[in-house]
Formats: sequence, structure tokens, C-alpha cells
Amino acid sequence: GKWKNKERVLIFSSRGINFRTRHLMQDLRTLMPHSKADTKMDRKDQLFVINEVCEMKNCNKCIFFEAKKKQDLYMWLSNTPQGPSAKFLVQNIHTLAELKMTGNCLRGSRPLLSFDPIFDKEPHYALLKELFIQIFSTPQYHPKSQPFVDHVFTFTVTDERIWFRNYQIIEEDASLVEIGPRFVLNLIKIFQGSFGGPTLYENPHYQSPNMHRRLIRLSVAAKFREKQQVKEVQKIKKKGSKVLIEEDPTEVVFETPAEEKPVEIQLVKPESKPIVKDKKKLRKIQRKKQKKLFRTE
Amino acid sequence: QDGLKRCLSEFKQQLAWVERLDVTSGQVVDPVSQSASNKDAIDPENDFQREMSFYRQAQAAVLEALPRLRKLQVPTRRPDDYFAEMAKSDQQMQKIRQKLKSKQEAMERSEKAKQLRAMRKYGKKVQTEILQRRQKEKKNMLNAVKKYQKGLSDKLDFLDEEQSSSQGNKKGSASQRIKKGPNAKRRYKNQKFGFGGKKKGSKWNTKESFNDVSSFRSKVAHNKGPGKAGKGGKKALNKRPGKRARQKMKSRAR
Repeated sequence: GKWKNKERVLIFSSRGINFRTRHLMQDLRTLMPHSKADTKMDRKDQLFVINEVCEMKNCNKCIFFEAKKKQDLYMWLSNTPQGPSAKFLVQNIHTLAELKMTGNCLRGSRPLLSFDPIFDKEPHYALLKELFIQIFSTPQYHPKSQPFVDHVFTFTVTDERIWFRNYQIIEEDASLVEIGPRFVLNLIKIFQGSFGGPTLYENPHYQSPNMHRRLIRLSVAAKFREKQQVKEVQKIKKKGSKVLIEEDPTEVVFETPAEEKPVEIQLVKPESKPIVKDKKKLRKIQRKKQKKLFRTE
Repeated sequence: QDGLKRCLSEFKQQLAWVERLDVTSGQVVDPVSQSASNKDAIDPENDFQREMSFYRQAQAAVLEALPRLRKLQVPTRRPDDYFAEMAKSDQQMQKIRQKLKSKQEAMERSEKAKQLRAMRKYGKKVQTEILQRRQKEKKNMLNAVKKYQKGLSDKLDFLDEEQSSSQGNKKGSASQRIKKGPNAKRRYKNQKFGFGGKKKGSKWNTKESFNDVSSFRSKVAHNKGPGKAGKGGKKALNKRPGKRARQKMKSRAR
């Protein structure tokens, strides 16, 4: 057949990415035969330079990985000439090379894309779905593609994030094995233009990683400060405010010295007290006796 | 929001499904766990549940898409003779297989060790039983030898027990008489005290011996049964009068 759908995706990154991101990028390049690679972009260039790079490479889609502070990874998905673009925070990256993922697929085989029903419910999710479809689906009859459909990408929305998984189809009865890679996308913003333009949507649930770390630090500091405060309060309590009561001169009136008791020397051993095994019973008997007396009185 | 919709409508491509191969579906209804309608109840923190939900979603998509693909004559199964480059290199797959194998081996090893331990315990028990049985046999054998030495049984049948009692009845009658040999009482005492002398540490009164009422004869105890002489004789001899009565009798007799 003839290759009609001329989609080309440019996958590249900025500088300062760590090994995991690099491997993820490479994995995406192997999985998508309609992708092209490019060198790392310098940080000082503006983002709209990317559009020019894409045009030079004759690509109409782009996946750009941006690493900040050597910790946070952001991913841009964009339709380069004029289309929408989206920025995500990427978390929980597992690459193809991980030994726990035992599946394998043909290099360049076309994927099946599976979406959550939630993608049809909200307009921003619908837009994202369209973006994903256009970027991730391999065009039919692409020269580097294999004609078989033997793996499936799943995009699921859980916990306000988009989870990506890649499974190999083993049997026709839909028994699957995970191939990898896997990652989680946290949507930040959707822009109308490519790498710029007015903001179409901003994710209210998104919290920047800086903010997240700051909150953790603050909570730890708050705990510590609370402990200090409690200690201070205890110190103050211990120290002062022992209220001194004045001596009352009229108290002496009530003082009556007690009579001196004669000194008694015991010569005979006192009778041993009967061992009471059941005090309650004894008490009961006593009470009954008292009642009797009371009645006879 | 309208901007989004507008943008989407501009951006959307009208391609044949074959190009896109996208499926939006719920999940395969699992008879064990919740159905697709309770999907919101899935706790994202529960890793297993979450992954299973992804898996089920993928399954549903596959089940929906494969028939469509087949109708469109897009091949889905790779023929066995089709060799092409895979996404993961063969080396990688080899590593994965090694890891799986090693895990399985480790598990098997631990299972084997557990079984071995159990077997050893059982073996020890069996061994002690066997030893005890051997000692008992040895004791019996020695007793039988002693008996023969004492002349009670002239048959050497303890040497090989397989020999059946095919000695004939003549000898049988003689041996029978000798078999009866000592009195029942004597036999009992012999068994108890044995030829090797008093048995070490055998208690007089144990729970078992106390509870053992096999030698209790009700008629004897209550003086109910017929006397030794049969009819006519009273069994006054069995019922021994008490000490006082005996003394009185003695004094009266004097």
C-alpha cells in the first residue's frame, strides 16, 4: 500500500537530563518508527526555536523533554506549525531495559491505542486524546513499520494523572504481557500555539515539584517548631507562678494542741486479725447487722 | 473551554480508523473484582489494583480492535517464520529469561530445603521406631533362648519363625503339656520378674496397671458364681473373714 499519512515526530531533549530520561527517549524512538532524533538543545535558546528546528527536519509533531534542576522532567507534546501543545510533568519512569517487563514486540510494529472513557468526557482530555493519537500511532505503510499489530499502548486517567503502559499481545484472546516503558504524565498547561501562545487550559490539580518539596520541608520544620514551642511552654510552667499565699493571722484561732497520749507498752502479743477472704461478704454481713439494729431501734 | 473545543475541531484529523487504531473502552468485566462501573473506586495507591485496571482496559481494547482489524484484513498474528528486528534486543531478552529462571530456581531451592527438613524430621522418628523395635525383638529372642536353656521348650522354633508348626500332633501333645508347664500364676510371675532378675525401674502402680481391670472377675469378687466343686459346695473358702473375725475364731477355737 501507499504511505499516505505523513506524520513525523521529532523526539529530542534539552541538556542536563539523566540516564533514565535518555533511555526513555531512546525507547520511544525505537517504538515509533515515524520518529526522528535530534541533538540536545541548548538551554539558552527560547522554546519557539524548537518550531524552526522541527521545520528544518520536516516534522510536524514534536516530543521535547526538558530537565530542570537535574530532578524534574517536563515533557512537551506539540503539533509544530500552529497546532496546540501541552506541557506535562513526567514521573515514575520505567524503561524498556527493566528486567521485570518480560514482553517484546517487533521493532516498528504498529500499536493499538487504548483510551479511558474519561478522555471523552472533558474537552481538554478530548484534545489530549487527539494529540496522543496523532503522535503515537504509526502511519500505515510507513517504510520502517512492520505490518503487524502486536502491541497496545494504554492511556488511563487515574488520580488526575495520565498513566501510560505498553503491553504485548500474545494470544488472540487478549492475554497481555507488559513490554514497557511506563511513565505518568501530570498535565500542567495546554497552549493554543506550539510552544507558546495563549493558555487554553491550566490543570488546577497540578502542583509544581518545587512547591511539593517546599511543602514537605515546611511540614517538617513546622513539626520541629511545634516541639520547641511545647518545650518552652513546659519550661515556663515549671519556673514561675507558684502563687504565694499570705499567712492568715486569724488561722491561729483554730489551733488546739492535742492531748498527750499515755505511752502504752504492749507486753502481750495482740490477737491476730481474722483473715478476711471476702471483704465484700463481710461488708454485706455488717450492713445487714446494722440494718437489723436500725429496725429494732 | 470554548477555545478548547474550537481548537480541537480545527486540529482534529479526519483519518480512517485504520490509520489511527485508537479504541476507547471501559474495562473487561472481571468476575472476581469490581465491574467497569466502579472504576472510580480504584485506589491509585493500591498498585496491584491499579495495574490490573490498566491491564483490563488494554484487554477490552484488544478484544474490540482485533475483529475490526481482521475485517480490514490487517494482519495481527506474526507468522512463525517471520524474523525481524525486535524492540528489545535478543541479549536483553536473554537477560530477562535468566532473571526469571534464577528467581524460579531460588524458590525451588527454598521449597526443597523445607521438604528436606520435614523429611529429616520424619526420618528421625522412623529411625527411633525401628531401633526400638529391634531392641524389643532382641529382648524377646534372648528370653526365648533362656527359656530353652531352662528346658521349658525343647523346640528351637525361635531361631527361625518362618517354620510353621508342622511338627505333627504327637510331639505337639508332649510339647503341649510342657507348654502348660508352670502354673498360670508362676508364668505370670516369671513374665513380670523375668529371668534376668527384677526389671529395672518397673513401677508397681502406674496409671495403666491401676486402670487395668482385666483380671477382675465379677463373680469371684462378689462370690456369686458356682463354687469350684460345682453344685453343692459353698465357696466359703474364697471369702476370707476379716482380721477381727479370724482372731475371734482362733480364740474361740482355743
